[in-house]
Amino acid sequence: MLSLPYKMIPFLLSWGAMLLVLLRRFSAHRRTAIAAGIVGYACGEAGAWLLFHLYSAEVAVGVMKSAVGVGFLLLWSAAVIAIYRSTGRGFPSWGESVGRTKVFAGGIALAAGVLMGGIVACRLAGTGSGTIACFVAALAAVVLAGAAFVVEEKLPDLFTVSPAGAMAALVSLLLFTSSSIIRLDLFAPLSMKVMKFAHDFVHQFFESMLIPDHLFIRSYLWGYIGLLFGKGVGFWGALAIWFIPVLLILLSVNLERLPPVAHIRQGAKRRKMVAAAIENRRLRLVVPALSCVVFSLAVYRSTFPAVEYWDPKPVPVTAAANGEIVIPKKGEVDLEDGKLHKFLYRQNGNQARFMAVMTPEGKLTVVLDACAICKPDGYGQAEGSVVCYYCKTLIPMDTVGKPGGCNPVPVPFTEKEDGVHLDAVALVNTWTTTVQSTTRVKEEGK
Amino acid sequence: MRRLLLRLWGVMTSRAVPPVVIGIFLLVYIGIAFFTEETLVTLIGLTSKSVVLALLFALLPISSACRLVAEAVSYLKRRRAMAGTAVPDAAELFDEAVEVPAASLTIAEQSLVGLGYTTRRTEDTLASWRGFSNFPARMVYLAATFCLFAGILISLTSRLSYRSPIVEGDPLPADVGGGVVERISLQPSSGMILSKALTMEVAPANPGEAHRSLGIYPPSMLRGMFVYPRYLGVGAAVRIAAPDLPDGFGKNSILNVYPPGKEDAVEIPGSPYRVMVTLLEPEDGVDPFSSGRMIFSVKLVKGKDLVLAGKMATGGAVSRGGYQISFPETRRLVISDFIRDYGVPLIWTASVLFIVAAALWLPVRLLLPRREMLFIDHAGTLLALSRAEGRGRGHGSIFHEALDLLEAGGQGKLPE
Amino acid sequence: MPSAIIQTTGLTRSYGDICALKPLDLTVPEGEWLSVMGHSGSGKSTLLNLLGGLDRPSDGSLRVGNEDLRGLTEDGLARFRREFVGIIFQQHHLVPYLTAVENVMLSQYFHSVPDEAEARFALERVGLGHRLKNRPGELSGGEQQRVCIARAIINSPKLLLGDEPTGNLDHQSTLMVMELLKELRAEERFTIVMVTHNPEVANWGDRTIHLDDGVLVREERKS
Repeated sequence: MLSLPYKMIPFLLSWGAMLLVLLRRFSAHRRTAIAAGIVGYACGEAGAWLLFHLYSAEVAVGVMKSAVGVGFLLLWSAAVIAIYRSTGRGFPSWGESVGRTKVFAGGIALAAGVLMGGIVACRLAGTGSGTIACFVAALAAVVLAGAAFVVEEKLPDLFTVSPAGAMAALVSLLLFTSSSIIRLDLFAPLSMKVMKFAHDFVHQFFESMLIPDHLFIRSYLWGYIGLLFGKGVGFWGALAIWFIPVLLILLSVNLERLPPVAHIRQGAKRRKMVAAAIENRRLRLVVPALSCVVFSLAVYRSTFPAVEYWDPKPVPVTAAANGEIVIPKKGEVDLEDGKLHKFLYRQNGNQARFMAVMTPEGKLTVVLDACAICKPDGYGQAEGSVVCYYCKTLIPMDTVGKPGGCNPVPVPFTEKEDGVHLDAVALVNTWTTTVQSTTRVKEEGK
Repeated sequence: MRRLLLRLWGVMTSRAVPPVVIGIFLLVYIGIAFFTEETLVTLIGLTSKSVVLALLFALLPISSACRLVAEAVSYLKRRRAMAGTAVPDAAELFDEAVEVPAASLTIAEQSLVGLGYTTRRTEDTLASWRGFSNFPARMVYLAATFCLFAGILISLTSRLSYRSPIVEGDPLPADVGGGVVERISLQPSSGMILSKALTMEVAPANPGEAHRSLGIYPPSMLRGMFVYPRYLGVGAAVRIAAPDLPDGFGKNSILNVYPPGKEDAVEIPGSPYRVMVTLLEPEDGVDPFSSGRMIFSVKLVKGKDLVLAGKMATGGAVSRGGYQISFPETRRLVISDFIRDYGVPLIWTASVLFIVAAALWLPVRLLLPRREMLFIDHAGTLLALSRAEGRGRGHGSIFHEALDLLEAGGQGKLPE
Repeated sequence: MPSAIIQTTGLTRSYGDICALKPLDLTVPEGEWLSVMGHSGSGKSTLLNLLGGLDRPSDGSLRVGNEDLRGLTEDGLARFRREFVGIIFQQHHLVPYLTAVENVMLSQYFHSVPDEAEARFALERVGLGHRLKNRPGELSGGEQQRVCIARAIINSPKLLLGDEPTGNLDHQSTLMVMELLKELRAEERFTIVMVTHNPEVANWGDRTIHLDDGVLVREERKS
């Protein structure tokens, strides 16, 4: 296991890269941008830290996740505007002069700083680090800001960043850092939403256009339609939504109109002007192209997260002759230690994976290691919550044992002096129906 | 007032309208997603009920229509300009405009002709062009977007729908004419898309009306309502007898048991009894709905206990120990939706128009895109205008060389 | 008096112990046609190479246009050659497998971006409008040299350097090429420095300088 300072390196590097982009984009207001960035970072870190301590991890993480989500939506808008502009579709030039003001430069740098600071605070809170770690992180961020200020000045003037390109870089770096914290990750929930949307949309489309049901449609054709309901749609659809803005920005730079040269009466001068514009265009592709790479890294980190939560190996259990499974409170594991404990029951080719856990209210709860929505990939425990491995949804510990949504499916049990008693047949039935339905929904669709 | 109208026209013809409106709907969708899993259905429901959202959506077809008009007007203006008529703000109709000192247009005309351009001279203008305009494709495309958005809007706000079974031998619902369904038949189909052909023969309800035959797709229409077959089923007169039901019980039930293997249950009200019915796979391999040879597997359940089980055909019975189940009569039925939706034909039209637009656009854009130049001699200066719908770089070079040539006073000529 | 486009003071080029060009002071006003004569090994081509930025001086100062060529980096020198100079050689140095118009476009490509219409127009100007798609092997010596002229002037250079451009041509072709250069100079107003053995060719210039063993020995001005 790497120690915490090493794990913070990607965060700090991203912060440095963000500052480089900000400084280059707002080269007329470098001091404002760097100052606002630092202030924003400090505020973001302090704000998230306060949310963690005054409210709860869910509130803090929820706020940060929404803020990053808003950033991503803004990137989408910027991309659409950029593509409209560069293809000469007469998108109104609202705010072009605003974009050059000191206030705007400061505002963007501040917002970027707040988000980055907040993400770092979430990361540190997630490892249970204290105030000192937060303080050290803030200090490192300030030092990096100074370094970025110096380095940016040394970068060749050739590198320019378009407004949309800057947006792509900032958002990609934010998503990259947030995707390494499982609870802040946006890609996995996005895949789930896309899958649901695709399913709903196709269904609605069929209904609206009065298209016959599978009963009447050729099975090969229905096989293709079925792909729209599959698990892959969520992943590929989310991938499209993830990458389209930055690809649109790349395209918009590439499609920018060349300068009008008809007024120049010498071919060589005309060509030189056109060549300069093309060269300039190419250089402006660099930042969005790098952002594209960062977006890919974010997807990678989301799809293959570094496992950092409590995930015990299931303990095999057997049923007594009367079909009852008994798990002692203080046996091989201590059921009341507040940690998640997994068990595996196997009989006659049937099996069921379940968990027992003491909720923060002090009640013992037994649930399946699966929910009613996702594939049964199981859960891990993070502080104050359990995490569905499939959709990365965070379920607060105090709601474990309640049915619905992505919560683990409750199993009927009785708590006695000696331990927890449950009925093996009921357990296997609950597991089988849950797993059958989720597997069917995910893989066969409608 | 005129200024206000012009401004409104400017907004409605702006290309920013569709992305902005769609963006707002996306935000609403995201907002709804925080509260419910059924986001799309909720959004559709909200849009159909909320006047504000419906009006917002209405901006989409209106904007398409306005753009269609605006682009047609500027196309006609450009045509007039190319024909030599003086048109105000001609420069705005082209991609590139430049003013040069006046020069003889004849040399430029000859050179352009040599390069494959068609030219038209008037006293003080020279127009030259080659290739075909994509204007028709663009118009068709805009008409398609109009139809699509208008169709969705109409469908969202005015769709009426209810579900009712169409039963062989029974009349259709009164609001679609009420003719008696004479026969329902299901046959295998060799089509590319549909595997089965379903026909419902409907007798005329009133003298003078025609005999109707309803199919699957495109859906048939009766009195302005689409008939949308959803599931096949069996209408059965279900009779049971049991020791504690001295009078027996009878009920005409709709059994949702198609395709074979699917189970449906008939509850017997006021009693603990339930009849479970399955249509069995045919032994002869012919679809029982097509052949009419239906064998049912039936079970009688009392509370949680199975009291009777067996197989029987229509008209047959299963009985044991005082319990009996019989189906004296069965009929084919099609559970159908009756839908009044004027948006659907518009959306169909839109799909056809999109295909037409693509078919028009692609070859022209690839093979012979329109390229135009216009030189207007006006009081000692020459206004030179150029635009291209494709291959702009090559056209631009020729335009620039033509200008160089004009300025050089026709010394030399463009190579052929 | 037009300003000087070329100004050298004590310009020297040595190759080891051999001094190919001894300290030379030369001023060429903008728009002049200067002929350079001398025997083989007299330093004519060395001078031309220095003026065109193809070689670097060993000593002395060399200003061409507004550039001090001795102070330029390799990149700066490449840019100078690209944008300021056009060169015509005795051996045409055309790419044999490219057509005439493609050969001209190649020069545009190294300068900025290729533009076919402009390249065709340039060939039309040198009287080769009917030979656009011919490869060098299908052209006569005079025609090839005219392609070279089109290639040299396509990027609108301020300075046109000729290294024995008519050395391989017969009398008729030589006359055509010289007439063409004269016409183009009148239109484009570039400066010509042309190295030649042929007094008749040198006579087309405004001024002729004679080099001998790397030293300027004589200067004649056309009356």
